[in-house]
Amino acid sequence: MTVQSQRRSGGGYLERPAPSGLADVVEIILDKGIVIDAYVRVSLVGIEILTIDARIVIASVDTYLRFAEATNRLDLLEQGGGKPLDEFIGNMQESGAGRKVKGAVSGAKKAITSGDDDDDDDRRRSTKKSSSRRRSSA
Amino acid sequence: MTPPTPVTVEPATEADLGWFVYAVVDGDSELPGGLRGLDDEPVRAVPCGRVAAIVSRFRLERPPGRAAELMAFHTVIDTLAESLDAVVPVQFGSVLLDEDSVVDDLLAPDETWFGELVDSLRGRVQVVVQALYDQDTVLREIVAEDPEIAHLRELTRDVPEDAARGERVRLGELVAAAVDHRRTADSGWLLDELLPLVEAHVLRPVSGLERVLDVALLVDADRRDVLEERLEALAEEVHGRMRLRLVGPTAPYDFAQGH
Repeated sequence: MTVQSQRRSGGGYLERPAPSGLADVVEIILDKGIVIDAYVRVSLVGIEILTIDARIVIASVDTYLRFAEATNRLDLLEQGGGKPLDEFIGNMQESGAGRKVKGAVSGAKKAITSGDDDDDDDRRRSTKKSSSRRRSSA
Repeated sequence: MTPPTPVTVEPATEADLGWFVYAVVDGDSELPGGLRGLDDEPVRAVPCGRVAAIVSRFRLERPPGRAAELMAFHTVIDTLAESLDAVVPVQFGSVLLDEDSVVDDLLAPDETWFGELVDSLRGRVQVVVQALYDQDTVLREIVAEDPEIAHLRELTRDVPEDAARGERVRLGELVAAAVDHRRTADSGWLLDELLPLVEAHVLRPVSGLERVLDVALLVDADRRDVLEERLEALAEEVHGRMRLRLVGPTAPYDFAQGH
């Protein structure tokens, strides 16, 4: 019943992972179901270990530092690291740094001639929201 | 199902054996043939009036819990849910000493309550819906909207990691609060869309930068298509900013509660 990996008709934007591995199963059954009174049950070492809720991450300084790191990592991406080449080139063109890669793109984009060298801020601003879609987060 | 693997087991005396309890079902349920559970033991029903417990023999002397036991448990519940109208899972790891105990200690004292629980879940399945942010998209929104965050980011991004620690913590704190704020709004909106289509829901805790919503939904089997179509439309709508994920259907694990 759980295994419904095939997609129904439609756009296909809804993800339908088929739970199969141990982690998926733990996620499904962890702490779930009718609880039988302890005095009725047999107590078994090792088989009742699944009562810790591992999903809750308590907010802490470490958590905040990770958040800060993620926010700062954004800068690197905006400066071109890890981007598809065409986007990268696009950004450089928009920011006026196009001449650095002129050889590669001269045929396609002759119109890019603006010589604004004050490019850091422009580069950041020119990054489109949608460009980050394909990068999955850790 | 994988074919049962023969397991060589030392002969066990009655005293070494208990009954592993998987689920509570209708008393007149007919189990799928050949169903085997933990330790590859045959699965059977122990009836008591209008309800029955699904059990199999279980050696009490054993090494600590193994992955195979969890998987076997899940397979039994899944297989039952495929063929029965109502399956109420029992918490994994519940073992009773003998068959009398299954009837006298478990079922008989609460037969009415079990019966009502089985009735309330009849013909219904559980699906889990999870919404996840596209982390970079949401971080960009946050940086763009909050001048203090943008400023702190400028202060901290090009200095060594051990410098500006206070500013880093403050930045992370503000980002965490901003994500929480968005999460409240986005999860509320999603729930408003989904809850009219379902019978009940259980929210699971979410945290971090990515998770927006994690909710178990109890849905009538004949309204599942409507729910899934709605989810598909929503997934398309939020595409690029959020991803929607549907897990299931499964037996109603999250709704087998009480006691």
